[in-house]
Amino acid sequence: MTATSEPGPMGEGRQQLRPGLWATVNERYPGSMITKRDLVPLAPLGKPLSECRLTFVSTSGVQAKGSVPFDTVHPVGDYSFRRVPSASRVDELEIHQLKYPTADAHRDLNVIFPIERLQELAAEGVIGGLTEHFFTFIGYNMDPERLERTLAEDIAAAVSDEGADIALAAPA
Amino acid sequence: MTEHAKPPRAAFAPFMMGHHFGVPFHRDLQRRIIEDCLDLVVTAEQSGTIRDLPLTWAQARREGMEIERRLGLRG
Repeated sequence: MTATSEPGPMGEGRQQLRPGLWATVNERYPGSMITKRDLVPLAPLGKPLSECRLTFVSTSGVQAKGSVPFDTVHPVGDYSFRRVPSASRVDELEIHQLKYPTADAHRDLNVIFPIERLQELAAEGVIGGLTEHFFTFIGYNMDPERLERTLAEDIAAAVSDEGADIALAAPA
Repeated sequence: MTEHAKPPRAAFAPFMMGHHFGVPFHRDLQRRIIEDCLDLVVTAEQSGTIRDLPLTWAQARREGMEIERRLGLRG
């Protein structure tokens, strides 16, 4: 591990790369941004990493070729998710999302969906293994209340069903 | 955004959208970011911890271009 700076919880003392961005987006698209008032309790890891099964949750819109594409042009978003087999090869996957630059991800999917690195970490025993599937959706959803009530709950249930000890979640 | 959503633990890499795990073909960087996240799972003591990873986009890009040159993907 390298040294890191670590401001307090709630971000006190953090330097913002783009100050005011959240407020600007929220002003232009009222109600579209997630704001939680409370921190969830920190769940301690009950066993060594090398015994933990990891799942990956991503807003990248990566999905298995042949699965129903995400609706990338719906005005309020697509509130469904896809199960992506964690044993997939990169050439079995494709991206259905328009809201972030994908040129580099098309050259090496691992920049946004690091499936090969996660497979390596599992094979080397750094982590205990991977859930059978990873979970993806698209990050353009304009109704955070609906997202929390439907998509987030659905993914949380699916993650739990697959016996994940750790969830690595990444935006795109 | 992360501060508003308040996940229990978060690692922040100051990279462009679509590059949260680094740059193409830079396996070491992609792996290091995941390992830093795993370390946070083990070491975070308070919910809401946001760890700034000691990375810069300029350096990641430079290293990525060098790797691509070595791989013959860039002149």
